[in-house]
Amino acid sequence: MDAPAIKIVGLSKRYGGLLAVDNLDLEVSNGEVFGFLGLNGAGKTTTIRVLLDLIRPSAGRAFALGEDCQSNGLRVRAQVGYLPGEIRFYGDMTGTETLDLLARLGGQSVAPHYRGQLLERMELSSADLRRRIREYSTGMKRKLGIVQAFQSDPALLILDEPTEGLDPLMQESFYQILNDAQRRGRTLFMSSHVLSEVERVCHRIGLIRKGTLALLSPVEEVRKLAARRVRVFFEREVDRIPARFPDGYEIVEIQPQCWTVRARGALGPLIDALAGLPVRDLEVEKPRLEDVLISYYREGTP
Amino acid sequence: MRSAFFLLSHSMKRVRSLVLTMSFLVAGFQILLTLVAKSIEKANAFEEMSHVVPDFLRQLMGPSFVALMSFRGIVCVGYFHIAVMGSLVGLMIALATEPAAEIESGFTDLVLSRPLARHWVITRTLALILLCTGFSVFLMMLGTWAGLYWLAPKGAEWPAPGLIRSLALNLGLLMLCWGGVTAAVSAACRRRSVAGSVASLLTLAAYLLDYLARVWEPAQSVAWLSPFRYYSPLDRILGAQIPGRHLWVLVSVAVAGFALAYIVFARRDL
Repeated sequence: MDAPAIKIVGLSKRYGGLLAVDNLDLEVSNGEVFGFLGLNGAGKTTTIRVLLDLIRPSAGRAFALGEDCQSNGLRVRAQVGYLPGEIRFYGDMTGTETLDLLARLGGQSVAPHYRGQLLERMELSSADLRRRIREYSTGMKRKLGIVQAFQSDPALLILDEPTEGLDPLMQESFYQILNDAQRRGRTLFMSSHVLSEVERVCHRIGLIRKGTLALLSPVEEVRKLAARRVRVFFEREVDRIPARFPDGYEIVEIQPQCWTVRARGALGPLIDALAGLPVRDLEVEKPRLEDVLISYYREGTP
Repeated sequence: MRSAFFLLSHSMKRVRSLVLTMSFLVAGFQILLTLVAKSIEKANAFEEMSHVVPDFLRQLMGPSFVALMSFRGIVCVGYFHIAVMGSLVGLMIALATEPAAEIESGFTDLVLSRPLARHWVITRTLALILLCTGFSVFLMMLGTWAGLYWLAPKGAEWPAPGLIRSLALNLGLLMLCWGGVTAAVSAACRRRSVAGSVASLLTLAAYLLDYLARVWEPAQSVAWLSPFRYYSPLDRILGAQIPGRHLWVLVSVAVAGFALAYIVFARRDL
């Protein structure tokens, strides 16, 4: 059986008195798109930097593509594409010079056709690439960063906040690049703050809170944990609220002719509870990953 | 290895303007000094000049003062002029703080997230410092000889090629020494400004300590700590050989500095 794309065992990282990552265990399968979530300072970037051997763990080990990230770091990094969260290039170099230098430093072959395709999708023209990076906007630097990470078509892509600074159209193009990479069997490990993005592109998510893994689950499973919002519209003002709502239902907002109810599970009991009230319409919102994750961010449980 | 070569050539490209400017400036300064020496020689004013120099300075320089007040002495001044030494040591500090600058700019993340071992970052800096030291000192010697060839008046006593070579060697080793010290500091820093400031302060403190030891006896007991103690161009102009021990001390400090830089950079979090 193939080794997992990423395996983290008992990883801890301490900076003086601050425990940035605390005994983290995590496995990411080959070909998976994994979303690594958490608030600022939760330990996402620290974990990513351990995988790239940019920082050394205080305890535990990290493996990527079957190799130890510390003792066999060169072999790991030969197969990894990395997009840092805060990308900074040399301002006096042109886009082309930067991409060429980074390709050469990687020692991996870069197919001109593939690079061209990436540049096209990121809407970076030849004229843009001839310009010095100091003339680039934040978004353009981000696009160049995406191209440099993907250009050698590596087996594992580690992306730290990949869509930060991208406009919605470019985000769309980026998701297409992700989909293509995933279809070719590449593994994607991305940290993100944008929950809608995670919901859209990731198979599984891991949520890190104060250095520990608070949640590890397929996106679909997490979505099931989310309560749906049901808006109940009435023909006229209703001042009689049922004395007892069924378990799993909670009225979160009351307006004269509309209630908003948070519902978990099937809607049958809610309909029974509303019997006898002048209901005009029901509007059921799709459960949102965001609702679950925000409660995890706050409390550690949904 | 190929990746390391690309890293070196990238760095050379980045610093070429600085190194070329600095090297041509010190070479130009040598030509200027020859021009100055020529005009003094023509005016036969070395005697007059020596009367203008204050007594304390004469005493400080001792017998080397006489040697300095000559065509040969003025031509050699560039090799120990404070502006030249300061510029060349400053150049070393600028080059050796590149690892800290790359950490600060985030470029290290992009470089070391590729299959490139950490030691190449320091090896690149070492290679860069060796090449640039060699180049700037060579150009300075070239400036000296060019100045002498074109400008030296007939009958003037030229400094011997061996003297120029040994002064250049001693100056080059002093530069390497500070390159090594700065590399060690830079390997431990996250910001170029911090690394540069620490290295500059160390240089200034070492220079002042050496100077102080020449005028204040109690300071002589700790003067050995200053690398400038092992750079004695005036003795060489007087005809003394540069003590081999002095050269070894400078080489050893450079080697120790780079060894420390390798160790610190390999172990630190980036």
